[in-house]
Amino acid sequence: MKYKSELCGYCGACVSVCPVNILELNDWRLEIQPLCENCGRCIIVCPVGALEEADHEI
Amino acid sequence: MKYDVIVVGGRVSGSVSSLFASKNDVDVLMVEKQQEIGVPVQCAGGVSDSFFKTMDLKPLQEYYSRIEGATLHAPDGGQVSTRNKISHGYILERKLFDKNLAIQSAEAGTDIMLKTPVKDLIMENGQVKGVVVRHQGKLMEISADVVIAADGVESQVAKMAGLNTHFEPYDLCSCAQYEMVGLDIDPAMIEFYFGQKIAPGGYVWVFPKGNTRANVGIGIRNIPNGSNKNNGNTQNTGNNGNNGYDKSKNAHHYLQKFISKLGGTPVEFNVGAVPVSGPVEKTYTDGLLVVGDAAGQVDPLTGGGIHVSASCAKIAGTIAAEAVKKEDSSAKFLKKYEDIWNKKKKIGHNLKRSLKYRRMFDKLDDQEISDLIKVVQGQELESVSKLTLLKMTKEYPQLFKLLRNIL
Ligand SMILES: Cc1cc2nc3c(=O)[nH]c(=O)nc-3n(C[C@H](O)[C@H](O)[C@H](O)COP(=O)(O)OP(=O)(O)OC[C@H]3O[C@@H](n4cnc5c(N)ncnc54)[C@H](O)[C@@H]3O)c2cc1C
Repeated sequence: MKYKSELCGYCGACVSVCPVNILELNDWRLEIQPLCENCGRCIIVCPVGALEEADHEI
Repeated sequence: MKYDVIVVGGRVSGSVSSLFASKNDVDVLMVEKQQEIGVPVQCAGGVSDSFFKTMDLKPLQEYYSRIEGATLHAPDGGQVSTRNKISHGYILERKLFDKNLAIQSAEAGTDIMLKTPVKDLIMENGQVKGVVVRHQGKLMEISADVVIAADGVESQVAKMAGLNTHFEPYDLCSCAQYEMVGLDIDPAMIEFYFGQKIAPGGYVWVFPKGNTRANVGIGIRNIPNGSNKNNGNTQNTGNNGNNGYDKSKNAHHYLQKFISKLGGTPVEFNVGAVPVSGPVEKTYTDGLLVVGDAAGQVDPLTGGGIHVSASCAKIAGTIAAEAVKKEDSSAKFLKKYEDIWNKKKKIGHNLKRSLKYRRMFDKLDDQEISDLIKVVQGQELESVSKLTLLKMTKEYPQLFKLLRNIL
């Protein structure tokens, strides 16, 4: 998952729906641990479109 | 370091919990990860008169504007207004309101640590015994008899103790809001706009804050498969919840569209998410209580959480203090908190009833919402009798299934 920090409003919606608890909001930024399963839940709930699917690896 | 009670989160649930724990003469610490209480704002600030009565608080002039009615706008442009007492209330300046609550709590004896995120819990034999915080760059352990998780929708603390406070995307309303100036509004009336093209799965609100100023915000709910019909929290998104989801159509997108025809200019931008699936299954465990948004204690129909959070937090703080005094912070004792908010105070019952209405509302299409508003249009809402509504279903038979459930 790709994070566009310039769009983020720090609301924590993404943190709330992450099934593997790898997201954390700290000091006005979203910290993302590895191990994202690309389930897309955070992308759906983000009110500002700050999260995108990661580019597919070649 | 050791406290009797540690409260995680310093907004409405946190401050009210810590205030009532402190009032009961126990040592309380409240930790907030932000450097300022109440920021960033994630709320429109609407509360009804009954809030201040229940909380025994006085609304302070500088924190609110007075509301004496509401207007609902249908998707087809129809509208209905009411000045019924139940629509009377206030729009709070949340930043100031939250800070004032924290001040009241501090004055009652609560210690507060800012810029201090809780990173983990201290656990002993399955019992919560305190928290691990990051404070000024260092990890620090602080013990407590009871921990109250008041950490909002992004809550991780209750999860660390093994409670299921996870939300799925369809449990949440994604919100965006501008505070705007220069609007052509009636400063005593709140307004709501409905429609799939305006706010799919939710609504737009205009909450006046004096003169030409208002919070103009939107909450939407995105349902998988591109449909906005849903069955609430029994539905499963499957693993790939974003199938067919167009992320460019987020809450902010719809809000921009709505305000483009309003005029006015923004002075603040807020985003947030509200859990609207009703309370989580269990709100206590050994050594820990969970309260507020973190526990899903929000009215599922309106998305209003201030009054529910505050009522439950008052109970949480009081019970936590009682547990400390009785030297019993077992789940068995702390269950009392849930028994009181859920059963005795009937908050659980009210939230369930609201959830039922929300599910019914979810099933209405734009035409049905417009028809429903047409039925009561031109009348003062309080004067609409059940009989009038039933007669109206002859004209709009599709409304019958809805009204049958309500009346
Ligand atoms: C856009 C929007 C509009 C709304 N409008 C209304 C309305 O008009 N009326 C109404 O009644 N309700 C409204 N609500 C709902 C209402 O805002 C919430 O129900 C209420 O604020 C919940 O308060 P809380 O204290 O439980 O959580 P929050 O207000 O989310 O507070 C949680 C606090 O915990 C802190 N925190 C989180 N994790 C940690 C950690 N690990 N360590 C330390 N601190 C932590 C956060 O920084 C935050 O300060 C709205 C919500 C949104 C999003």
